[in-house]
Amino acid sequence: MSVWLMNEERAREEVPILGKSVAELSKISKQMHLGLSTDEMSRIGSYFEKEGREPTDVEIQAIAQAWSEHCSYKSSKVHLKKYIFGIGREKIVAEGDAGLVSLDDDTAISFKIESHNHPSAIEPYGGAATGVGGILRDVLSMGAQPIAVTDVLYFGTKSVKGFPSPKFIESGVISGIRDYGNRVGIPTVSGGIVYSDFFSPNVLVNVGCVGVVDKRKIISSAISKPGIKLIIAGGKTGRDGIHGVNMASAVMEIGEEDVTTVQLGSPITKEPLIHAVLEANDRGLIYALKDLGGGGLSSVVGEMLQSGGVGGKVFLEKVLLKEKSMRPWEIWISESQERMLLAVREDQVNSVLEIMDSWDVTSAVIGESEAGKRLRIFFEGKSVLDLDTNFMTSPMLYERPSLVKEKQVIQWLPKYPTDFRRILRNMLSDKNVRTKEYAVRQYDHTVRGSTVIGPFTGIVGREGPSDASVIRPNWSKETGVAISHGSNPFYSYIDPYLGGRAAVDETVRNLISVGSEPLGFSDCLNSGNPENPEIMGEFIDMVRGLHDSAYALNLPFVSGNVSFYNEAGRRRIPTFPTILGVGKVENIERSVTPDLKGIGNAVYLVGVPTTDMGGSLYYRHLKLDGGRVPYSDPVTLKRRGWNLLKAIRSSCIKSVHDVSDGGIAVAISEMTVGSGIGATIDVAPLGLRNDFAIFSEPQSSWVVEVGEDREEEFVKILGDDTIYIGRTQDARFTVARGEESVLDVDLESILKNWKKGYR
Amino acid sequence: MNREINVAILTMEGTNNEEEAYLSFRFSGTSPEIVHLKKLENRDKKLSNYDILFFPGGFSAGDYVRAGAVMAARLKSSLMKDLEEFVESGKPVMGSCNGFQVLVELGLIPNVNGDYALEAALAPNISNRFEARTVYLKVDKGNCLFLREFEDNEIIKLPIAHSEGRFVPKDKEILDKIIKSRMNVISYVDSRGRQAKYPWNPNGSERNIAGVCNKRGNVLGVMPHPERVFYRYTESDWTRENSKTGMGNPFFRGAVQFLREKY
Repeated sequence: MSVWLMNEERAREEVPILGKSVAELSKISKQMHLGLSTDEMSRIGSYFEKEGREPTDVEIQAIAQAWSEHCSYKSSKVHLKKYIFGIGREKIVAEGDAGLVSLDDDTAISFKIESHNHPSAIEPYGGAATGVGGILRDVLSMGAQPIAVTDVLYFGTKSVKGFPSPKFIESGVISGIRDYGNRVGIPTVSGGIVYSDFFSPNVLVNVGCVGVVDKRKIISSAISKPGIKLIIAGGKTGRDGIHGVNMASAVMEIGEEDVTTVQLGSPITKEPLIHAVLEANDRGLIYALKDLGGGGLSSVVGEMLQSGGVGGKVFLEKVLLKEKSMRPWEIWISESQERMLLAVREDQVNSVLEIMDSWDVTSAVIGESEAGKRLRIFFEGKSVLDLDTNFMTSPMLYERPSLVKEKQVIQWLPKYPTDFRRILRNMLSDKNVRTKEYAVRQYDHTVRGSTVIGPFTGIVGREGPSDASVIRPNWSKETGVAISHGSNPFYSYIDPYLGGRAAVDETVRNLISVGSEPLGFSDCLNSGNPENPEIMGEFIDMVRGLHDSAYALNLPFVSGNVSFYNEAGRRRIPTFPTILGVGKVENIERSVTPDLKGIGNAVYLVGVPTTDMGGSLYYRHLKLDGGRVPYSDPVTLKRRGWNLLKAIRSSCIKSVHDVSDGGIAVAISEMTVGSGIGATIDVAPLGLRNDFAIFSEPQSSWVVEVGEDREEEFVKILGDDTIYIGRTQDARFTVARGEESVLDVDLESILKNWKKGYR
Repeated sequence: MNREINVAILTMEGTNNEEEAYLSFRFSGTSPEIVHLKKLENRDKKLSNYDILFFPGGFSAGDYVRAGAVMAARLKSSLMKDLEEFVESGKPVMGSCNGFQVLVELGLIPNVNGDYALEAALAPNISNRFEARTVYLKVDKGNCLFLREFEDNEIIKLPIAHSEGRFVPKDKEILDKIIKSRMNVISYVDSRGRQAKYPWNPNGSERNIAGVCNKRGNVLGVMPHPERVFYRYTESDWTRENSKTGMGNPFFRGAVQFLREKY
């Protein structure tokens, strides 16, 4: 290609839309990969009619970014506002790219979970890696030091023609998280892996990050003064990740997947960028900060200016590029990774540039804020964009039609099982229960030397699972940050409302289990196409469920994201949340783990088994569809949970594990894995048929090991919420109902089944 | 030595264990400083002004080439003489994980022939994957100054997190010399203290070698991470144990004691 042609191609282009018909506008949107509806195209048309000119390609692309589902939450915002945003506001310290709650007088926790589903479906390795990169930047952009990365992964089990095989996706995603997380030096400490045909071929990658920040050093992203300089720092800008947000705002079709929409990650660029940004913040040099993620510069500059009520100008030729031939609109919307936008006062620009240089981080001043409401972009002296920031960043919000399908609930009474031992073994070796060490041991979970409780605990060489992780962010203090998740797509599939409540319940249970007081949540909402009324109905049900639980607990959702359109290929995913929760451990010395600690201690159940077995592991093993989903009552959760916390803090408790998949049978089995200590329990006091007693998944329930001399104290704190069920013993796990033996299994067999597939 | 002990924790892009190393030294009563390799290269900082040199773990330069190779190459080209002087003055030098890999690439470990030639490598784990877990180790402390606070043959537990940790000497002669001089000061063992194969030996190291000290006893390279278990609360099984201090703590205490007595 001749130089002349290249220059010609790089020049600004007009996109003629004035006076076009609806059909023509729709064609333009499709051709340019804008993902805009005809209503939205017409709205753009009338804006430019008033301006008296045609839009440029840069302008059209910028608007398409800002108005995408991914950036604007146009289908969900109405419902999120109604159900989610108002809860526990007084507990939120700050909000932005991530949300903050208070850990102690000086420190806030910055955290968020978000999806990287669509990129991971197209390019599992790069998609998952950049998912980690993106969430780290979100936490960093509040001025916080990241202390933990988490990931909850949902893999399909069947190959679907035209899509990558589940095995390929799984190994790509795990390697991507490993290679990025390990290199960037932040421990990957918590998460989960769920296998189900629901996710063939729509893999879900929900990644979270937790950080801490000195309350006096929290950074905002709003620029509210003219003359503030904009500095882009970190990686260079390239053609990777163009139209990522638009792709994430539509249903993927066979053969249409576009690898250029997936960004490329570079942890070795990110690692010093984190140091450099934190150093600049520590020295008070950052006026405002935002990370460059979905929508690139276009989204970030627009939002930073608009939220502070000013305008600004940017010179695109100052942006450092990976490829010289990039066109202005590509530079403006590229989602290249490892970039942060710093807003800095003019007299501090040099200091910031020096800090970046000392960490070998590239940076450049690309523009500044101005009085007024207009954003102006120039490229090599020519104006390529001149828009009202309010227009650009205020998309149409939709209250899409919704339909709640009345489902008939069938309560099954399965045949009474003949071999409880076989069922337990099968449950323990179920891919959704057994150890995930084959994946999780590839993630560095001890880097930074502050991991108090990691993903596995117990005797070295035979560790079992933990319920939540605990990080000690400051070596001089006794305070810990507990981190855990909750989600249950199997419940949500049957009942999105109760599934939402159960996800909150699980998160709270896990946080309580390690001895922490829950402080708040971040929610990653996964769903199908919102233009389908039935899916919109599920979505509303789910957020109502989240609301009802969180409201009763008065715990805020401080951040989150929504991922629609996960319905490529033959089936769609259930509409369900992944919740990331954080808690405060007052004194790490008092935190507890699930591995049993001694022979002869009392075993108590907090909670009562249920006959609601819908979506339970037991029913899944019996291949029973339907049934009522276990009901979580937040008032009960609050009473039991906070009383249990009191008991943990008074050191009556030796070990505790929450009851989840597989009921108390699986819970107690898991407590034996890391300890080599067994238990004998009597289910007579629990009532119900034996299988319901030990395999049902009652919400707000825990199995607790209480020290011999502390039983009285424990029972006094928990009151009627706890039942004595047995004692710890050597070598075996046995269940009886009075004189009748129900189950008798040796610990080696439990260990072997739970560790299946890992050595 | 009555004055402050100055520790240089050497980093470049991709080094990412400097924070816990820094804190371990700080809480051992020294004055640590994180020093970017650039500052030594451009003579902003001088190696001889420090009393201890520590190479933290991580992925220096991304470890996209052989682990530790790029950092070692940069050090060799501009700072090898300073490094040799530092080592020969008898001051403590330690590297963990990627830091061990750098020490080996530099020829500072094992250096059985005393000519700083490349005598060993840390090859990919035999499991062919990254391994993050706690391992049992046996300490055969010899004259290693970092290990003086341990009992001889003491069994300890430390975290590992690496994909290239299989210690392989260049040839049998070098291995024999390492063994003969008791330079293999830390070895992987099973829960009863016996030499055992994978998974107890997490990477398949020759003779279960987890840590190597030079003959003089002042340069130690280890694959596990003492700096991550300075306090007992970060040991993976601390809720079952009654230890008073973290198992990594004595490494740092040892170096400090050594300097206080010797200088």
